[in-house]
Amino acid sequence: MWSRVVEIMLGCWLAVSPFVFRHAADETQFWINDFSCATAVMTLAMLSCWKPTRHAHVGIVLVGIWMIVFAYQNFPEPAPPALQNSALIGFLLIMFGVIPNDATFPPVGWQEYDRNCEESNE
Amino acid sequence: MDSQTISQHDLNAAPAPWSYNPSAWSQRIPICLLAAVATVIATYLALYQWRLISSAWDPFFGTQTEAVLDSNVSDWMHRYFLVPDAAFGAIAYLGDAIFGLAGSTRRWQYRPWLVIVFGIDVIPLGIVSAVLVALQATVVGSWCTLCIVTAVISLILAYMAYDEVLTCLIYLRRVWKKTRSRKVLWDTFCGQPSPVAALIGEEMCGKA
Repeated sequence: MWSRVVEIMLGCWLAVSPFVFRHAADETQFWINDFSCATAVMTLAMLSCWKPTRHAHVGIVLVGIWMIVFAYQNFPEPAPPALQNSALIGFLLIMFGVIPNDATFPPVGWQEYDRNCEESNE
Repeated sequence: MDSQTISQHDLNAAPAPWSYNPSAWSQRIPICLLAAVATVIATYLALYQWRLISSAWDPFFGTQTEAVLDSNVSDWMHRYFLVPDAAFGAIAYLGDAIFGLAGSTRRWQYRPWLVIVFGIDVIPLGIVSAVLVALQATVVGSWCTLCIVTAVISLILAYMAYDEVLTCLIYLRRVWKKTRSRKVLWDTFCGQPSPVAALIGEEMCGKA
């Protein structure tokens, strides 16, 4: 679950990003994007800890892709710190988002397969 | 999560052609540590490119490090990737560490996709780093000690990682040759169990 914990921390960082990077009051899309991505990431990471929605972390990959697309869409040269932040956090979210929940153990499918094999041998 | 059903012996079995298990922690932790060192170095260089620090340390080439970090190649990459190339490198090294840490000690069989993603991150990264150092010498005409250190680390990482990626590819190839079924191959790649995949895993560990 370490990956989900890191995602929640990245979500917290996104939530304070508008203040760290001092978005101007009229840059509404930057404010909305950072806050909505932060909410989405933290919600999806927490949902992943609940069994019926354990695959919710795949959504975090999509949020990550969106943040990179958002940074490229609003692409003045050179990119301002706020957009660089968006792109970097996007890359991080993609990397952490693909990590399965109980990554240290074999996948559930293989665990069940081996259990069935052992039962049929007995 | 019930992890006891698959015995530790099976998880640590050594697959052919190796006498050891390339997915063992003793193989993967050093990769993660080395990647973490490279992440720190690359982050330091990125701090200079962001001008959060005013100079970049170099024991041998003086201000040449700064010339490399401010070169046209760097500038072009900054525009292309949105972030400075050193920051992009730091993300890639961090990825090596993350993908190295995830997975069981039999992930070459149980999560091939993860090993392949790890390989895609580690091996091309080694090549890109080496190319960037070559560009320093030829295009920029300056040298940067820390950049060379990270390039050497990425080549070492590529060397340390290739055995696991190769094992995974051999396993997938054997599944393909046995079944000739795209669906079985894809399911195996995604980590879905099947009798064929289980049998080939056992064969590779010399048990069938």
